[in-house]
Amino acid sequence: MSGSRPRPASGLAAVVELRFLLAWRRLRAPGGTAEGVARVVMYAMAVPLGLAFAALVAAGSYRAARIGVGIQVAIPVSAIFFGLWQTWTAVSLVLSEREGLDLRRFLGYPLPLGRVWLFGLASSIAADPFALFWLLLLGGGLVGAAAARPGLWLLPLALDMALFAVATAALVALLQEVLARLLRLRLARELAILAGVAGWLLLLGASRLPLRQVGAILGKAQWAFFPPALASLAARHLYAGRVGAALPSLALLLAAGAATAWVAWRLALRGVLSGEEGRAASPRAAASARPPWTDRLGPLLGKEVRYLVRHPVPRVSLLFMPLLAAALAWKVAPALPEEAAPVLRALPLFGLPALSYLVVQDLWLNSFGLDRGGARALFLAPLPADRLLLAKNAAMAALAAALLLASAVPWLLIAGRPPAWAFLAVLALQGALAPVLLGLGNLVAVLNPRPGTFSYQRGKGAAALSSLAGMGIFSAGTGLMAAPVILAVRLDDPWALAGGWAAIGLGAVAVYRRTLPLAGALLHRRREHLLAAVCGDDL
Amino acid sequence: MLAIETCGLTRLFDGKPAVDGLDLRVPEGAFYGFLGPNGAGKSTTMRMLTGLLAPSAGGALILGRDLSRDGIAVKRLVGSVPDGLALFERLTGAEQLRLSGQLYGLDRATARLRAEELLEALELADDAGKLVQDYSHGMKKKLALGCALIHGPRLLFLDEPFEGIDALAVSGIRAMLQDLVSRGQMTIFLTSHVLEVVERLATHVGIIHRGRLVRQGTLAEIRASGTLEESFLASVGEERASPQPLSWLDGSKAVTG
Repeated sequence: MSGSRPRPASGLAAVVELRFLLAWRRLRAPGGTAEGVARVVMYAMAVPLGLAFAALVAAGSYRAARIGVGIQVAIPVSAIFFGLWQTWTAVSLVLSEREGLDLRRFLGYPLPLGRVWLFGLASSIAADPFALFWLLLLGGGLVGAAAARPGLWLLPLALDMALFAVATAALVALLQEVLARLLRLRLARELAILAGVAGWLLLLGASRLPLRQVGAILGKAQWAFFPPALASLAARHLYAGRVGAALPSLALLLAAGAATAWVAWRLALRGVLSGEEGRAASPRAAASARPPWTDRLGPLLGKEVRYLVRHPVPRVSLLFMPLLAAALAWKVAPALPEEAAPVLRALPLFGLPALSYLVVQDLWLNSFGLDRGGARALFLAPLPADRLLLAKNAAMAALAAALLLASAVPWLLIAGRPPAWAFLAVLALQGALAPVLLGLGNLVAVLNPRPGTFSYQRGKGAAALSSLAGMGIFSAGTGLMAAPVILAVRLDDPWALAGGWAAIGLGAVAVYRRTLPLAGALLHRRREHLLAAVCGDDL
Repeated sequence: MLAIETCGLTRLFDGKPAVDGLDLRVPEGAFYGFLGPNGAGKSTTMRMLTGLLAPSAGGALILGRDLSRDGIAVKRLVGSVPDGLALFERLTGAEQLRLSGQLYGLDRATARLRAEELLEALELADDAGKLVQDYSHGMKKKLALGCALIHGPRLLFLDEPFEGIDALAVSGIRAMLQDLVSRGQMTIFLTSHVLEVVERLATHVGIIHRGRLVRQGTLAEIRASGTLEESFLASVGEERASPQPLSWLDGSKAVTG
């Protein structure tokens, strides 16, 4: 051994190698093959879907390049960039895996952390299946423009798109840092609810303004979302053949993207050096009085509820769901044709129960993940395994009910009180979905567990296999619930809907009760695998 | 009566035995020190005896009950501090203790009273409202011990309870364990790498090596005329290791940058 000191560059190569090794080990671990197959299936779904949308974008871009100037260029170009940016940001904040940006694991090594962070940022663009989808769409835009008007102007257009992608990724990273900080605040829940209420009031206020005024406000507000605003401005100039006029927008996009990345990096560094990363606000010291549970399901349920209340996803969902409900009540429900059957016109309302389970599906598809080492305590205690599942399901059903309740408020404010049959149908659907989704979710949680995290943005993405199974469970669940809709439309009797869903719910509860001991037995048999996965037990 | 009696207890991983035909005899009221080198099978044995792992072959009677047939009833009588601990990081210390008590069948009021008493005894009362994730390693060990004791178990399993904690905490926990055994109401099964701790506390010792029980008996029988360390090294067939100098740390070669 020579004793020569390793250089940082070789350290970065080691980071890259480490990430590949970790991915490879994950695939070779028990259940890794299924995980790998699921990932391939997700890619296989993302690529053709991306190509189909890319063809649409290419057609729009082709048309814009042929026309050159005017409203027929401005609208599709803005729509492409703003649409891409919205979906990219939303999906990244909710779904994407962000372990690449987690600096904690590299703190102990002599590595330039700035470069490690940049590597994480780059991998969030180049090695993320969702980002692949957006990049395909941008590529479609470039191909469409090239087909319409080949020339050197395509180079600045490609640069514009590349800068847009980097700036969007940087802004997402910044949003994640800010969101993580907000969620660590003691008053995070209260702030989230306050922000939600403010959002409803803004929506309500905006709905009463003339369209032209709303347009003017949106025109000014767009600069807050600088990546699509600057990228589309530059692109409009480029489509019109004014390369020189596009340069200031490109320079601004570059500068703003770099500044955003720098702020996100500084926040990440400060967070990781302060040791606050990954921590939640401490609960109030004095616990409030709770009902005196005598059965052991009570304490289990109490623990589950505390865990859900202390997790950022339910808190964010309590903000997100009412906003979504407001949007559905404000824009979607009134847009349905008057002559449609009452049941069909109420479909946006019936989406709320399904959404209340969907937004927290990562939690119920991996219900032991958050317990980490605590999962050992569950199996050391003298408890039948089916009780563990029952407590987790009950807490999750309560959370979904709370989300539905939170979204009912803006719905009532905007759309008004629904008819009695629709009100009962929502309750029946909410109740019927619980045993179907959570019962099937138990199987995924037991068969494909993985360690969960309380950090909002660090590696919170669900396992690919679980996501795929979640899609299947949701498709099966909603497919089952579609039968009463068809029946009610056929009979032209909306009350058949509530009756149908209530009947399905009763049947599902009976099946759930019969199969819970079987799921418990499966959990007992699989406890070693589960503990190895969520606690890191080396078996 | 025996607190633990195993018969041919075996656990295979990928076809290889981690624990191989173990026949343990732990008398009730004993402080049993379970010794072995790293990877000998101590933690695997403990996981099997606490129901976290299923044996590949053989079985165990815990306090006269068959672990495989009567697992829930056995767990009611047993407390455990496993390797890696079994704590919910997002509960406060007080919540964690109370939850443990309730999971083992105590009513809420009793669990709360005992939790308060344990927090005082373990010197954690000032941190009762803090989340477990904010506890130091030593505090977590003490809290895990409290969770294992709250329901008054007749048999306590402790996997490396003194690992990673300071001398003051070791002294406190050791005094508490000695007190528990001296009252004659509890059997303690403890694994430790620290032979001095076992020598000071244990009444009985078992030595496991490569998955097999190589010696078992009272401390006096195992020690015979020497020290426990000498008996241990002789049992596992190893000589006292002589330090082998590392070529690049022998002081003669300068580190170049």
